[in-house]
Amino acid sequence: MIANPPPESRDSISRRSFLRGSTAAAAGVAAMAAGLAPLRKLGESISVDQFLQQHYKELKPEDMDKVLRRIEGEVERQYGVRPHVRDYKPMNGVEYVYALNLTRCVGCRKCVHACVAENNQSRDPEIQYIQVIKMPNGTFDMEKGDAHYAPESVPEKGFFYMPVQCHQCKNPPCTKVCPVKATWTEPDGITVIDYNWCIGCRYCEAACPYFARRFNFSEPTIPKDKLNLEMSYLGNQPRHKGVMEKCHFCIQRTRVGRYPACLEVCPTGSRKFGNILDPNSEVAHILREKRVFVLKEEVGTLPRFFYYFDV
Amino acid sequence: MSTPSAKTNLVVAGLVVLFLALAASFALSPDKAPIRQDPELNKIVTPAPKVATLRISAKQLKASGGDTSGLDCYACHDEKKPPTVKMGPDGSVVFPKEHGDLRLMMANCEACHVGKKLEVEYEKDGAVKMPKAHEDLLTMGHGRNNRNTNCFNCHSPTKLNELVTRDGTRLTFDQAPLLCASCHGPTYRDWEVGMHGRTNGYWDTKQGAAVRQDCNACHDPHGPAIPQIIPLPGPKPVLTHGLRSAATAAEGGGPKAEGGPPKAANQ
Repeated sequence: MIANPPPESRDSISRRSFLRGSTAAAAGVAAMAAGLAPLRKLGESISVDQFLQQHYKELKPEDMDKVLRRIEGEVERQYGVRPHVRDYKPMNGVEYVYALNLTRCVGCRKCVHACVAENNQSRDPEIQYIQVIKMPNGTFDMEKGDAHYAPESVPEKGFFYMPVQCHQCKNPPCTKVCPVKATWTEPDGITVIDYNWCIGCRYCEAACPYFARRFNFSEPTIPKDKLNLEMSYLGNQPRHKGVMEKCHFCIQRTRVGRYPACLEVCPTGSRKFGNILDPNSEVAHILREKRVFVLKEEVGTLPRFFYYFDV
Repeated sequence: MSTPSAKTNLVVAGLVVLFLALAASFALSPDKAPIRQDPELNKIVTPAPKVATLRISAKQLKASGGDTSGLDCYACHDEKKPPTVKMGPDGSVVFPKEHGDLRLMMANCEACHVGKKLEVEYEKDGAVKMPKAHEDLLTMGHGRNNRNTNCFNCHSPTKLNELVTRDGTRLTFDQAPLLCASCHGPTYRDWEVGMHGRTNGYWDTKQGAAVRQDCNACHDPHGPAIPQIIPLPGPKPVLTHGLRSAATAAEGGGPKAEGGPPKAANQ
């Protein structure tokens, strides 16, 4: 009897099988809707244009212009002020080099906070590109360094201070590991990130031997009155949750011939910046005449960031 | 091959004995001789530094009457929103707590000393006795051993606003770097090409001017060591890094000493 069911029940749907099937289908649809629910929230923070935007290098000038206007609009909606966003291009015959005099640095951290203000870094959660490490005299063992020092006044006896930021390497490990080519080195030596193209996998953060890259674990917060309105696409435009960022030698300043913000505030003149291809630049003199060294030379990253002592 | 002669054997044996004796003497007398100590040199006593980040003449700041738009505050402060200067009832400048390391400096001797030859009194150890009227304005501490404290090593004895080098050349205050160079040659050479001292403005001089500072913009010539500075707050502790905290969100998060973003790009 079971092995030989009546022929009519084989073609028509029984009440039981209908109920079973429709319940399963309804549960499946509900589960899919629940699974896609976060995408509805996405619609609020990310526009279709932003979602469909091409890679930086594939954008035509007119596309770039649209993108810049869109970013201006987004910032205006979020912060209530219209910024000035530009895409600064590298200059011909320029390669940037940074030199930092460890004899002069007193560890006052003015560079750290000038950088935060200039580059619209998130205040909470806190993102800082520059880390000033207090090191005991006579060693370069980073294990002995302390970035959280808080004495009444600096410098302290028996210590020197070593600010570390992105070294803009000539052989950067961070750009090689990027699975989507969202980070690359520009002709003037600055390693940049297309914040729109970044998928936030943090491979580059792991690859960097200098701990120079920062990740936006949550939506960044910047006080409205602290926003720097002169923005660049590859530089200090406000970032979103889930993308990497890092020091870019203040692209919005240096590509119009100015000094980076960290250099401008340094009270001791420890920080030197310039075009290494110009033999009369300050950095060219320093590289010729001072005994410069790079951090973690053995890893072969060929940094464009040099340290030296005045002896 | 001839067998070695008796003489050769003797020489070889002698050498062997000599080397063994030397080895034994090294092994048995481990560094008994004391390491030669250099006679104690004059101890370097660094004068206790005063805190300061800003060097500006008291006269200049008071004359500004609270308008600081011409001063060097705009590395941190927004130029469009200049900070105001609070004055005490006696006309002295009241510094806010976060700028407790600011220091004023006297820059015009002839405002009080006109044409008179000064008499300088000395302590027993040769240090200059500082008159009370100068206590807040001058810290004598020039030289590692604090020995270059005689006013007339640099100033003209009859005209304090004039500088005199060792060879008798008279210089104005504007030419002060040349006086500094007479002792600090290598530093002067570095400064000339921009390796020492602050440079602001434009690295690309085709697009704007590079602003160089002379020696006295950063160093008080009377006590030239860079003074102690109050450090700005460091990063939050690692364990809370990246976590949103209600307390910091309420106060805006930014560092208190910050007045706003530095000058924005001029585009």
